[in-house]
Parts: sequence; structure tokens; C-alpha cells
Amino acid sequence: MTRDIAPVYDAIVVGSGMTGGWAAKELTRLGLRTLVLEAGRSLTPEADSREHVQPFEMPFRGLGDRRAVDARQSVQRKSVSFDEISQRFWTDDVDNPYSTPENKRFDWFRARQMGGKSVIWGRQVYRMSDLDFEANLRDGIAVDWPIRYAELAPWYDCVERFIGVSGQAEQLAQLPDGAFLPPMALNCVEQQVRDRIAARYGRERVMTIGRVAVLTAFHNGRAPCHYCGPCQRGCSTRSYFSSINSTLPAAQATGRMTLRPHSIVRALEFDPTRKRISGVRVIDAQTGSEHRYTARIVFLCASAVESARLLLNSTSPSFPNGLANSSDQVGRNLMDHIKWGGATGTIDGFTDRRVIGERPNGIYVPRFRNVASKHPDFIRGYGFQGGAGRGGWTGAARAPGIGLVFKERLTQPGPWSMTFNGYGEMLPRQSNRATVHPTLRDRWGVPSLHIEAQWSENELAIHRDMNLTASELLDAAGARNIRAHTHGPSTPGNANHEMGTARMGRDPKTSVLNGHNQAWDAPNLFITDGACMTSSSCQNPSLTYMALTARACAFAVAELTRRNL
Amino acid sequence: MDRRELLQWMVAASGLTAVNRLSAQDLLTLGRDAHRATAEDIGRMAVLDAQAANSVAIAAEHIIPASATPGAIQANVTAFIDTMLGGWYPPADRDRFLRGIAELDARSMARFGQKFATGTPAQQIALLETSDAEVTAMRATSDTAANDHWFAMLKYLTVWGYCTSEVGMRDTLHTYPMPMRYDGNALVDA
Repeated sequence: MTRDIAPVYDAIVVGSGMTGGWAAKELTRLGLRTLVLEAGRSLTPEADSREHVQPFEMPFRGLGDRRAVDARQSVQRKSVSFDEISQRFWTDDVDNPYSTPENKRFDWFRARQMGGKSVIWGRQVYRMSDLDFEANLRDGIAVDWPIRYAELAPWYDCVERFIGVSGQAEQLAQLPDGAFLPPMALNCVEQQVRDRIAARYGRERVMTIGRVAVLTAFHNGRAPCHYCGPCQRGCSTRSYFSSINSTLPAAQATGRMTLRPHSIVRALEFDPTRKRISGVRVIDAQTGSEHRYTARIVFLCASAVESARLLLNSTSPSFPNGLANSSDQVGRNLMDHIKWGGATGTIDGFTDRRVIGERPNGIYVPRFRNVASKHPDFIRGYGFQGGAGRGGWTGAARAPGIGLVFKERLTQPGPWSMTFNGYGEMLPRQSNRATVHPTLRDRWGVPSLHIEAQWSENELAIHRDMNLTASELLDAAGARNIRAHTHGPSTPGNANHEMGTARMGRDPKTSVLNGHNQAWDAPNLFITDGACMTSSSCQNPSLTYMALTARACAFAVAELTRRNL
Repeated sequence: MDRRELLQWMVAASGLTAVNRLSAQDLLTLGRDAHRATAEDIGRMAVLDAQAANSVAIAAEHIIPASATPGAIQANVTAFIDTMLGGWYPPADRDRFLRGIAELDARSMARFGQKFATGTPAQQIALLETSDAEVTAMRATSDTAANDHWFAMLKYLTVWGYCTSEVGMRDTLHTYPMPMRYDGNALVDA
């Protein structure tokens, strides 16, 4: 039975994570009574942060509840941020199934809880530049971005100032600087590596400290990082940015936000006369009862693939192939970043030095391929993340011997090693797509997806080049025993940067959204999560999603004021 | 900001009266109870019988003996190994481990005429070093095969259990309590 709930909201935001939190904050700040629908449970930093749980307080000492994970989270476990504690912040794969072809796996990482994936994200934040925004036009690929860097720059400023980003300005055109808090320190070996790379490559290849949404100073009522390490388990000092640490409390403080957990949005309703979204159908995850909410505008911030799923599941006589899908682009152009190329080497010296504390950040080497010159084998490029460290007892555990000498060896730090791991751009292709599965449904009866995605030769060439240039950087750094990574390319989706499934563009025939993240087919619908991305660049994308969200909110409220919506 | 200030700030920032009454140290233990309860439940599972548990404890203490700092027994490594055998390893791995512990007795009988646990420390160490040498020899051809050897399992679990124990982290490795700061250029002996 459907209960119709009186339309007391100006806006509905679907999702409470990275972009849903920003939509909630901006829309409420601009005066809108806003309902935020979150599919998962409530979560607060006070009650749910677990970052200080020690290994000896975990049943499996950090190795994870293998049997439970094998049974219920066989996909989610593949994320680098999944561990014995953070396990609770990822979805149950049995309740939330999807399919892929057997030979084309796609890792779909999902988080249903207040804060979504912002609770467990990698926190690396980089601006895109016109090298990215002009890329599709320049290469004649897919469609052109409808915006350029100058239009987004003030919104990057706005987001960075609010969330707090620590980083080092480098004056590189391909990686614009931002409003940075003091950078975290490179360790002693990383400083030498940086200097030696600079000596060989000058400004062509630059190594810097990662730009990270973790505070290095008090900021907007949040405390600086205390370097305990496992951010993916939450943060009781709210030192890293997540929506529960930052944007949702700001929205709450306006008194205009209503937060509804356990609210699975099943479908959006479309009024063909007014050509507007007229209602939001919600299943209560706990009771199974169905509710309907209405508002003047809807922001879809459910994460790229979930948002596509919701559109594809919202069929009507006007949109038999899915809502806002007259272009047939919804679910297509699925992108991620290609990983697992790079190299590791040993750095001599510094034997009397070590690192104290766990820095939740590494180094960054901004893209240098196809910046000043053209590479013969591929277009676009990649950046490196990584860092230097000394091995500890885990390295010694397999060494021969027993007794006091062996015990002593466990306490001795190993040699320093330096690692570069690539993150490469993926091109948008229509054939990489999510479609509604004909029979598979989730625990709540909502049709699931079939996802089909694979790398093209361009990404594979990028992956091969990562091994080469990471080895070159290590050679410049004077490393010994340089070993290029031997594993093949990552599984698509594994970078947790899925995007592109409802792209922005300049033409309603070839894109889902206009330059303000507004659906061409339903002007009161805005999609501002990763679905909107027209190309993937190689930078970690969340900062761009947030900037686009803030910008779209300002536009939507202005349009409401002008009575255009 | 030093650690005390930070903890005080955490108390203040949490904004809960119940939390405000807790000491800073208590606050650090917030959220641990659930984990501890689970740990105790699983700890009650007894894969190892008394004799096997005794052999494991003796062997683990020879691998990581007490010295100026605690050894494997003080770190309660046997309970961790039991937990892993009962709740983590697939049955085939668990059974290979248990057969290895039984074999240790058989080898001890053959070499010294008594079970492993009742041998002298020198005899026990000799038996364990023989097994360790077997693992080292296997490692020359295959790391995977070597790691599957029951003694490699025992040794690895002993190291893991010890190095993630409270006494191991606090007294031997000095990784607990958390330093609450970052220094990327500290002296090893600092």
C-alpha cells in the first residue's frame, strides 16, 4: 500500500554521500526545505567511528572475518579500503546482487549508510583542468564537455574552502592549485626521491605530496588529523571530509533538512504534461512499506551506477527505456580509472631514520604524458600515487629461524622502498554500459543491473606505460632492485571511481544532462554524482563531483526563483 | 596539539553527556565492547584440544621466547591460533595444521622417545628447527608451497598473533599506544 505524504519539501536529494551531502548543504543554505533520502542506516561520527580499535581488539586481528566476508561480501572485499572494521561500511552483496559477463568482471563498490562512500573514500582530491575539459573535443571522442575550467574554478574554491584540503601548490597547468591548508610532510626518503626526480626531469615530471581532504589545522569546527591511520573506519575528530563529518551537520544546522534513512528510492515519477518529475517512490528498507514524496526539484546523488539504475527502472509511456533517456545514453559510457601499473624499488641509506605515525596520504605525480608532447601509443594519461616506507615485522615473518635472534629481527625496520602506483584515464565508450537485468532483483524487489565494461587498447597502452615510467622515476631517484608491477590491469570498477552513466553534454540527442547537470528531458531533475562525467580525466574525481553539485544547486535555486522550474 | 589536548577536544566535540563523563582514556575504548564480545565468543571455540594447545604454546614460545620483553605465551598467541583455526581457515588448512602438530609428537617419539611436550627444551628446539629448515628448503622452489607447510602456518600465526597483541605492540614493537603525530624523519632509536 502506498501512503501519499504531503508535499512539504522544496527539494528531494537522493543519497547522502559525497554529493548528496553537498546538495543538502547548499540547497538548505539557499533556503529550500530539503528531504534527504538515504537507502541505508543512520551513522554518526560520535557513535560509529572505529579508527582507534586496536588489532588485539579484533577477533581476527585485522585479517577480517573471512567466512562471513566470503559468504556475504565477495565483491566489496576487493576494495583496498575494506578491512575487518570498515567491512560494516560496505553493502551486503547477497542483498544487492548484479551480474556481469563471466569474462568481463566489474567491481561495483557500494555503501548504503548515512554518508555513503564518503565514509570510506580515499580522500585524494585533485582539480581537473582544461586539458581534461577540452579532451573529448580535441580528440574527437564521445561528446564535448559543456563547461570549461573557468566555469568550475570558483566552485572548486568553494568546496575546498569548506571541506579543507591539505596540499602543496605546484603551478602546473594540468593540475590547477587550490585553496590549500598546510601540506602534510614528505618523509625523508620521499624528499630525496622528489629532489632527484626534479634534477632529471625538471618541471616535466613533478613529485609532490598528495592533496588530501584531511585537515592539517582546525577548520570549520573540525580538528586536525592525529595520524592514527585507518580513515576508512571513520573519524571521531571529523578530521577527514565525509558528509557525516561536515556537510550534513551544516545542512542540519539550517533547520531545513529532513534526513530519512532506510529509504530506498525505487523509481521517479514523470508528469508528461508538465514535463517534470512529479514524485519519488520510496521503499522503507525496514518495513517494506512504500511511500511517495514530492518536491519542486530532485537531486539525484545516489552514485553513478545506482543513479543510472534508478533512471532505467523509472519507465513510463513517455520514457519506455528509462527516465530522461531520450538520448539512449543512460547507463552507457561507464568509466573508471585503470590501475595496477607502476613499480617499486629499494632506496639505500637512511638506515637510522624511520616514520612515526600513520600519514593518511601519499605522494602524487601529476599527469605528464600528452601534456607538452604527444605520445605515439595512446591519448590522455595517468598520475602516480604511492610513497616510501620501511618494511616491518610482516616482512620478517617469513624469514628463516626461531628464537631470540628471530624475535629481534621482528623489531628491526627493513630497508626503505619507494613505490609508484598509476591511475589512468579511461575513455568513454557506449558499449561499456549497465542495463536492467531481466530477472535479477535485490532483496527489496528492485530490478538489479547487468554491467558490461572492459578496457580498450588505449587504457591497456596506458597501463603498460605506467610500468615503464615508474621504473624511470625510480632510476632517477637512484633506487636499486627496481621491479615493475607484474600484475595485469585492474578490474574495471576497482578504483572505486565509476562514472559517466548519465553524461553532461551540449546536445539533448547525445547527452542526458546539460551544462548545469540538469536533465534535458526533465528540467527539475539534477544529477550531480559521478554519472554526470563526460570524460574521466585521470585525477581522483570526487572533488569535481562536489564542485559540480554546488554549482548545480546555485543554478537550480536561481531557476526556482526565476519561476523556470 | 599534544595528545591530552586532542583527547579533551574529542570529548568536547562528541557533544554527548554520557561521553563527557568518561575519562580521556575511557573515550579511546569507546566502540570496542562489541568487538571484545565477539572475540570472547569465538575464543570459546576450541579447535585445539588440551594436548595440541599445549604443544602449540610450547612451540610458539620457542619461536618468540620471553626475554626482556614478553614471549608468545604472555601474548596469548595460542588463543589467537585457535580462533583462526576455528573461524578463519578453510577446513583443509585447519586439518593440515592439526596433522602437523600430531606429527610433531610422532617425530619426537621417534627421535627422543617421548612426546614433544615432555621433551627437554633443547629437544623441542631441535625438532622445530628441523621443520623450519624444511620450510626454508621448500621456499627455494615455491613460496606458496612453503607457506602451506604446517610449520610455516604455525610460525606465521605466532608472529601475527604476537605482533598484534597488546603486550607485543606495547612492549616489543612500541607501536601502541598511537603516537598521535607524524614525523617522517625520526631517528630509529627515538
